Amino acid sequence: MKRSDGEIAEIEALYRRHGAALVLFAVTVLGDRPRAQDVVHQVFLKLIENPILAGVQEKKAYLYACVRNAAVNEIRLRDRTEPLDTDFPWFVAPGQDRVEEQSLRRALATLPVEQRQIVVLHVWGELTFAQVGELLEISSNTAASRYRYALNKLRETMFAKENSCANS
Amino acid sequence: MQTPDDERFETYLKQFSPVAAAPLPQESVRNTSLHRFRRAAWFAAAAAVIAGALVLRTKLVRDQVPIPNNASTAAQVPVEPLTLRRANARLASGQTFKTVLDDLAFRPESAPLPEGKQSAVSVLSKEKIKL
Repeated sequence: MKRSDGEIAEIEALYRRHGAALVLFAVTVLGDRPRAQDVVHQVFLKLIENPILAGVQEKKAYLYACVRNAAVNEIRLRDRTEPLDTDFPWFVAPGQDRVEEQSLRRALATLPVEQRQIVVLHVWGELTFAQVGELLEISSNTAASRYRYALNKLRETMFAKENSCANS
Repeated sequence: MQTPDDERFETYLKQFSPVAAAPLPQESVRNTSLHRFRRAAWFAAAAAVIAGALVLRTKLVRDQVPIPNNASTAAQVPVEPLTLRRANARLASGQTFKTVLDDLAFRPESAPLPEGKQSAVSVLSKEKIKL
């Protein structure tokens, strides 16, 4: 039983390291945080029950793929997509600035789903464009170009709002 | 290709950290672990029972089936009593005298002769042959 205990400890460590970003990614797929949290929990509990992670090379990318599949299954199961929930905070802003956090959250919400997912996967998931491409079944070049496009849009949205607020 | 602006903005975004995930439900983790242990224990117990049953069955079968040995097999094969006529017939048909004699000498002990018949050996032993 020592081996399985070690595996459980490793999975718990992975959850501590990547759990927050995985939940954020699941939110971008599912729309609301409680369901996203449930899906991530389900993935990790399944990994504890079936120790298949030992043979996986890129564990982080594998976790994101698991979460994405589970989230997509969840959508199929409920046969509906929830509107993106922007009422609860997604981030902890530098200096705990709630306005800044809200600004980022709302700017992310304006992006098309795939662009939003690419930004979350690359910035907070720290996946390479090759990994993002593999996950979303697009080429790495497409992932990179969509990321740049999303980044520009995000910046415009965030700072345009700030400027408009400053001017008013 | 990312511009310096993009890189700066990316660095800015990275300063935001995603809200911490709720801890894994420990009860479920423990239950999963316990469940695995229980399942393994059940499999081990079932395997032990099956192995025990197989060993017992093999032993019983071995005890019931009589092991054939040469002596009993020989006793079961009906051996015709060796009469003078049969001995002569064998001598006539045999390849060599020695072979026939050896064959007759090392015959298993035959069943008791029926009434009124005599074995060749007993007849020959009564005869007074002068060489």
